[in-house]
Amino acid sequence: MSSSTTTAGRDTAVGQRSGIAGRLQWRAMAIYVFVLGEMIVFSVLSANFLTAANLGNIALNAADLALIAAGMTLVIILGGIDVAVGSVLGLLALISGTATLAGVNPWLIVVLAVVLGTAIGALHGLIVTKGMVSPIIATIGLLAVWRAVHFSLWGGSDLFAPPISLLLVERFAGIPGVAFLVLVVYGGLAYVMRFRSFGRNVYAIGNDAEAARLAGIRVTRTTIGAFALLGGLVGVAALVFMSRTGVIQAYSGQGLELAVIAAVVVGGTSITGGRGAILGTLGGVVFVAVLQNGVVLLGVPPLWNGLLLGAFILLAVSIDAIVNRRAARRERAL
Amino acid sequence: MGSTLLEATGLCKAFGPTQALAEVGLHLHAGEVVAVLGENGAGKSTLIKILSGVYIADAGAMRLLDEPYEPATPADAVQAGVAAVFQEPTFFPQLSVLENVFAGRQPRSRFGNVQWTAMLREGRELFTELGLSPALLDRRMEQLSLGHQQLVLIARALHLEARVLILDEPTSILTENDATKLFALVEQFTGGGGGVLYITHRFGELAQVADRIVVLKDGRKVGEGAASELSEQQVIHLMSGRHIEQAEAMAQGKRGAADAAPLLTVQGLTVEGAFSDVNLTVSRGEIVGLYGLIGAGRTEIALSLFGQLHPSAGTVTLDGRPYAPRSSRAAMAAGVAYVPEDRKTQGLYPLMDTGANLSTAVLDRVSQGGFVHRSKERTLVRRFVESLGIKTRDPGESILNLSGGSQQKVLLARWLATEPKLLILDEPTRGIDVGTKTEIHRLIFGLAEQGFGVLVISSELPELLVLSDHVHVVRDGRMVADFRRGDATSHAVLEATMGYTGADV
Repeated sequence: MSSSTTTAGRDTAVGQRSGIAGRLQWRAMAIYVFVLGEMIVFSVLSANFLTAANLGNIALNAADLALIAAGMTLVIILGGIDVAVGSVLGLLALISGTATLAGVNPWLIVVLAVVLGTAIGALHGLIVTKGMVSPIIATIGLLAVWRAVHFSLWGGSDLFAPPISLLLVERFAGIPGVAFLVLVVYGGLAYVMRFRSFGRNVYAIGNDAEAARLAGIRVTRTTIGAFALLGGLVGVAALVFMSRTGVIQAYSGQGLELAVIAAVVVGGTSITGGRGAILGTLGGVVFVAVLQNGVVLLGVPPLWNGLLLGAFILLAVSIDAIVNRRAARRERAL
Repeated sequence: MGSTLLEATGLCKAFGPTQALAEVGLHLHAGEVVAVLGENGAGKSTLIKILSGVYIADAGAMRLLDEPYEPATPADAVQAGVAAVFQEPTFFPQLSVLENVFAGRQPRSRFGNVQWTAMLREGRELFTELGLSPALLDRRMEQLSLGHQQLVLIARALHLEARVLILDEPTSILTENDATKLFALVEQFTGGGGGVLYITHRFGELAQVADRIVVLKDGRKVGEGAASELSEQQVIHLMSGRHIEQAEAMAQGKRGAADAAPLLTVQGLTVEGAFSDVNLTVSRGEIVGLYGLIGAGRTEIALSLFGQLHPSAGTVTLDGRPYAPRSSRAAMAAGVAYVPEDRKTQGLYPLMDTGANLSTAVLDRVSQGGFVHRSKERTLVRRFVESLGIKTRDPGESILNLSGGSQQKVLLARWLATEPKLLILDEPTRGIDVGTKTEIHRLIFGLAEQGFGVLVISSELPELLVLSDHVHVVRDGRMVADFRRGDATSHAVLEATMGYTGADV
């Protein structure tokens, strides 16, 4: 990555410590401790939890969540949010499913879903930047709009579609194929956030958009780019969703945004932007997915699922707020 | 003197009715430091914001290195080689110092990858060259002191390979040690052929830093000369001497301060990190002014009297009783009202109507069993609209339709309705046109006449001199001088404000 090969070891160590990825690693990585604790609890409480089959299930079921949460991390670090991802996923899954049943070439469907998703994401970004609507308000509106489009296209009965590719759902040594895709996406994005100026600019904008503008960073373009990237990942997630469930309903994808935001926030990304890490989100996704799975294994009514998820969002956001307030107070005391 | 770097002619800028800058010309040579001086509101900030592309001038022309220079955005200015560090700096608090220095232009490889090792090496070289500790690079920006943040931003500007560096009161928040570092940076920069435009309020450093001095007053350039030739006396004379005639006439009619026992007595009041050992008294019927540069601690004194900052030492009595409010509610209950300095963010409810804005602090007085008594509220609102001359067709009108002056009166009414004994007014006429200013002055005189104690904070010295029976000067969190009406001349107050000791340059 670096053209410099003469750097002494000490320099490299400092180099890695400086900057977000190094310095804030502990904050993002704290989630893995919680994941470990959670897994120990569920292993003790249920004999079925720590089995290859169940862990494979978790990986498969969490794949679409993971893909969207990766993109959402960028958007949230940038100081935005997109709560319409569930609706967009439903719509794109419906379109892809319909195309599959019509016998369209699977490669073409992949391109279609990704391009459509990217375009929709870019549109969200455009509304947020050029339309100057706050991201949460704009995407609440879009959530309703895309769901309505979904309804109007939905034929009135559930759509049963075959997987876009068996590679996604088949298991290799117990690991579903889609898990590899997820890991590639996370690795790629972690790299982008640290080594591409796009990634550095996303952090800068989330810290202070005005300061970023003064520093000559293209704020509008970067913002639209982050939303578009999220949209593209929603497109991929829609294909995964369709392939693993095999059915698209009127309410497919509904409520997904809650789990996505929960994963991002418990993964250490500040909901107000400026700070966070992609690899923390991966931990957050695992945490949420294991929670959802464990609760089912224990035979707890699904009602409690939402309660636990909600409680963890509140906990994560409160911890974030408290940490920030402490930091602000310290700053003021200087 | 080197070749001309930057030249500006006939710069004008107006904000609404206020002419912030009128026909100001300026030139800066290579290797030169030009200090720009002026009272608060003289137009210094407007000038440097035009030069650095934050504002666009209404009229006038600029040339940089003999090319036309018309920056439309700060990025344009930076591109052209003009870098500014503002008094309220903008940076990325949660990113490392290294990233703050390089934000927006990190060194990149052929494939567009950010080269962290190269960036770190460059940052180290830069910091070593500038005499800053390279260990700073590794820290998060928000962990640095204000002074160090400022130095980092200057380092950033220097790394931009700027030809012109604009520093807006850089030393006002620096310790002596940091200031020495800053002067070394400036010297290094001008030694390399750069030019520096230096805004300051401190006379002590003029001789040390500046080659030439430009004095602004009321948006106009009123004097210019070599730093070695202008004495402090002359500069202060050029800066001062504004008049507010109408209010002066009103002041003539005002009786001297009431001789009654003091309403508010403050002794040795200290808030850690903001101000220390503040003493002052306000009697019924007296108007007491607090003057100082922005950031000197004026507003913090007011906030501590309103229960928003908690003192670590000192005693306050109000009406003979100990007074130590822990919240704004407690302060209000004790009879203190505070009209904040920023109308828009600290005062108005922009989405509510005029009446609701006015009655908000006393809703419980016009309510029964938790329900607002509409007719009582209307009576209250009508009373104040009439007595203060608030220009509104109807209390149901949106507060945003009112002029700045009327908005200010609504806020004043909001607090008068709480029937306070002591009124604290922070910048009561900021952003208000001249005519309404006079009306507000008349109102303040009227309130004192009725027996309120009034504490006024203002950045406008002429206004404060006319209003106040007693002016206190705050500098760096300490009370450094006080003047009775009559003794207070703008000259004397400015000298105290800037720490002029009487010794000539």
